[in-house]
Amino acid sequence: MERTIHKVLIANRGEIAVRIIRACREMGIETVAVYSEADREALHTQLADEAICIGPAEAAESYLDMERIISATVVSGADAIHPGFGFLSENARFAELCEQCNIIFIGPSSRVIRKMGNKAEARATMIRAGVPVIPGSKELIREEAEGRELADRIGYPVIIKAALGGGGKGMRVAAGPEEFEKAFFTAKKEAKMAFGDDSVYLEHFVENPRHIEFQILADSYGNVIHLGERDCSIQRNHQKMIEESPSVALSEELRARMGEAAVRAAKAAQYESAGTIEFLLEKNGNFYFMEMNTRIQVEHPVTEWVTGIDLIKAQIRIASGEALSLKQEDVVIKGHAIECRINAENPEKNFMPSPGTVTDMYLPGGKGVRVDSAIYSGYTIPPYYDSMIAKLIVYAGNRKEAIMKMRSALGEVIIEGIHTNVDYLYEIVNHPDYIDGNIDISFIENL
Amino acid sequence: MNLSNMFKKTKDNYIPLKSGDVRTKEKQEDGQGPNVPEGLARKCNKCGRAILTDDVVNGHYICPKCGGYFRMPAGVRIRMIVDEGTFEEWDTGMNTRNPLQYKGYEEKIEALREKTGLDEAVVTGRGKIDGHGAVIAVMDGRFLMASMGEVVGEKITRAVERATVEKLPIIIFTCSGGARMQEGITSLMQMAKTSAALKRHSDAGLLYITVLTDPTTGGVTASFAMLGDIILAEPKALVGFAGPRVIEQTIGQKLPKGFQRSEFLLEHGFVDAIVERREMKETLSLCLSLHEQGQAKGQQASGSGSDADRKTKAVGLISDVMSAWDRVMLSRKKDRPVGEDYIKALFTDFVEFHGDRYFADDAAIIGGVAVFEGTPVTVIAQAKGKNTKENIRRNFGMPSPEGYRKALRLMKQAEKFHRPIICFVDTPGAFCGLEAEERGQGEAIARNLYEMSAIRTPILSMVIGEGGSGGALAMAVADEVWMLENSVYSILSPEGYAAILWKDSSRAREAAQIMKMTAADLKELGVIEHVFEEPEHFTEETFPEVAEKICGRLRAFLDRYGSFSPEELAQSRYDRFRRM
Repeated sequence: MERTIHKVLIANRGEIAVRIIRACREMGIETVAVYSEADREALHTQLADEAICIGPAEAAESYLDMERIISATVVSGADAIHPGFGFLSENARFAELCEQCNIIFIGPSSRVIRKMGNKAEARATMIRAGVPVIPGSKELIREEAEGRELADRIGYPVIIKAALGGGGKGMRVAAGPEEFEKAFFTAKKEAKMAFGDDSVYLEHFVENPRHIEFQILADSYGNVIHLGERDCSIQRNHQKMIEESPSVALSEELRARMGEAAVRAAKAAQYESAGTIEFLLEKNGNFYFMEMNTRIQVEHPVTEWVTGIDLIKAQIRIASGEALSLKQEDVVIKGHAIECRINAENPEKNFMPSPGTVTDMYLPGGKGVRVDSAIYSGYTIPPYYDSMIAKLIVYAGNRKEAIMKMRSALGEVIIEGIHTNVDYLYEIVNHPDYIDGNIDISFIENL
Repeated sequence: MNLSNMFKKTKDNYIPLKSGDVRTKEKQEDGQGPNVPEGLARKCNKCGRAILTDDVVNGHYICPKCGGYFRMPAGVRIRMIVDEGTFEEWDTGMNTRNPLQYKGYEEKIEALREKTGLDEAVVTGRGKIDGHGAVIAVMDGRFLMASMGEVVGEKITRAVERATVEKLPIIIFTCSGGARMQEGITSLMQMAKTSAALKRHSDAGLLYITVLTDPTTGGVTASFAMLGDIILAEPKALVGFAGPRVIEQTIGQKLPKGFQRSEFLLEHGFVDAIVERREMKETLSLCLSLHEQGQAKGQQASGSGSDADRKTKAVGLISDVMSAWDRVMLSRKKDRPVGEDYIKALFTDFVEFHGDRYFADDAAIIGGVAVFEGTPVTVIAQAKGKNTKENIRRNFGMPSPEGYRKALRLMKQAEKFHRPIICFVDTPGAFCGLEAEERGQGEAIARNLYEMSAIRTPILSMVIGEGGSGGALAMAVADEVWMLENSVYSILSPEGYAAILWKDSSRAREAAQIMKMTAADLKELGVIEHVFEEPEHFTEETFPEVAEKICGRLRAFLDRYGSFSPEELAQSRYDRFRRM
């Protein structure tokens, strides 16, 4: 059903709120910002056509307060909410409330969010759709022989994990059948010691994989396309730091196969809106479904650049009931884009957040350089929220040129008054392994 | 840089997305635009914030934002407390009469029946709580503020009577505006009727637990709500006889914040404990299990316990090396284990009960029910603190009259439920102060001596630190009194003794020597039955070895005195003191 969106409330803050306000403005849609008491001076608050204060600084009392955001929407007369990422973006209850209050939630339905948010259910859905998942079983393994048989079936290396596990305790890898017995009993012993319960289960061990994710667009008429991949292997503590598209690890053939799997996954989930299917890619080319992100992602600009598609606008169009105008064959990946996340944090002090006032700043520009940020000279970064303050994205004809451009652009960044990770990022893009595209998710760990 | 009004807001220059778009407010009116459907959200009457009805209903009727408690329909309450499928409702469909021919009363009742689906303001029946059978009555404030008319009184009375016949405990969740004005004197009589039924239930040795919920006032407070053996309350519930508005109008003053709330009642000694809704079922289930009849009577004494260590006692020897004064100092040492440590080490499932039901709860005495090796026991301890702050709260272990009255109340309950009583004595003395005298410190101590002498259940007292005078004796009229090696028990502190006899309190050391106040002296005098040896540094760390010995002996004590008849117990206790 088509329903025109005239006014969007952005239930978020920071650069993504600014990004969404800009897209709306370009589409002739009015914008309503919501802000906490700590964000009175924030860029999104100032930039939007209207701004409504929704509570104190603590996110739980403001950006996570569903009732207040719904009230703000009704009061402002906005017909849609864009949740951005983080906060309420993957909260099925919130999406459901929007549905109940006749507010367009710019994203998938609450049902889909709920389904994909449940790991077990998401996995089962993917298995049914024939999308590869990490082989293994959550069934507890009691006997060594039983485990050995399963290990043979799912393929080595395998990892034995404590059922009550966490924090790496009670986890043991067996590279081949000869190591199974020892690994099995050690894991059980460790599990017993750490958790007082020696139940273990078994799955295939994906060794130093790449994090490859596929951008999906799906409309409400069942049309689903993918916009290629992003390689997000440069991560620290599961936090992505640098992303790029395309990935050097994918051949045309593999891209087609993974893309096709991603489309199948989205169809199986009855997905609608922009979404992301995350895979782990093994060195041997095997890939496994990890999870689906049912929202826009931080790193969406790299895809925008190599495909020429504005993803936020696409989300809004889909939400208002428009059909996708593109077919899969219309999607052409051209050139290479890289994104660096600039955080207010101190790499010298174990990346401790570094909120404070930006006393002076200079951000780079020029052809193929994009900065999505919410800071300005004199802005005080509040200590309450995520430390990401800007994204620097570059685009060039090929990866090498893009890396050169990123180096040049990072070299120009000046942010005074707070600590940032800019120098740390600069070092990474100068690292020989990075330049060679020789990366996996343990890259930073191994630096 | 200040960004206020710096950006161009091109609101008016927007190019419409599609031709023919009309942006009006009409859409909102014709149901096209956003609107919050009726009933989806509500406003918390405590914090004023918008909350989702579903969250409240699925979350124990507690405001997810401020944690405030909402009143609960009786059916929901029963589902929350009673094991699924075990509730059998009693006495439904009773007819509400109109004794005053009050105009419109019948219509009002009829309308409320329609609206709430209840047939009166209380639901009664039998159910199981974690498998423990109990009679349960739940009042529902939606029905004429759960005021007590004839039907409410009758249903509660019948439930109590049936509980008496079936030998079941009864739990009443109270919530009421009081007597039902529309029924006049008939309503007033329900107070006497329900109370009389509860007296019979209690005389049959059965347990009655009251749970006070918001609000419990008037004739309900002044009858069955305040008669529980155990009175629990939900946090911040309004509980009182006269409502706050009436009091304010009468005395022409504003009432202080928190007046007549559960916390106020706890402080004033009328509530045993405040229990969160989330923990209510667990607490009730524990209370029921502690009062279950025919519970395992403790394991058999292992035999090695009592006699063996009586012979190996080497107390006399050490006493030669250490002066009485040294022991006085040791008995007052700050890191010495206190009452709470003994409770923790010797018992399981301790539930603390507060208040004397007259005036206050005295933190200088901790009391409650616990389990010793399978046997429920009443535990009462004079409580010193572990640091200055706690000591101030506990008044340095010096009980006030309300402390002794709480102790006696719990002992009387122990007698009713045939539980042995175990007291821990550790006090410099009963509190001497203006207020203590005003409230009858002497009377309170005397009352304990008087009543304890004839309590029909075993009593054991252990002096674990200072046994100061009458304040100690008021918890030591026992079948046996045991002492820790370096505890003391005396007519007065040595300082006081020296001051009275020699008008010089600095001669306390000398006084200690002649007072015969050490455990060894008292054992020799036959004032006490047993002395436990202490490790060199007696602290929380070294406590377990002592605790083990106490356990062994306690087991034997319960075995021995558990076999006495109530008459034999009272007689032997009488004889014990008759000898002195």
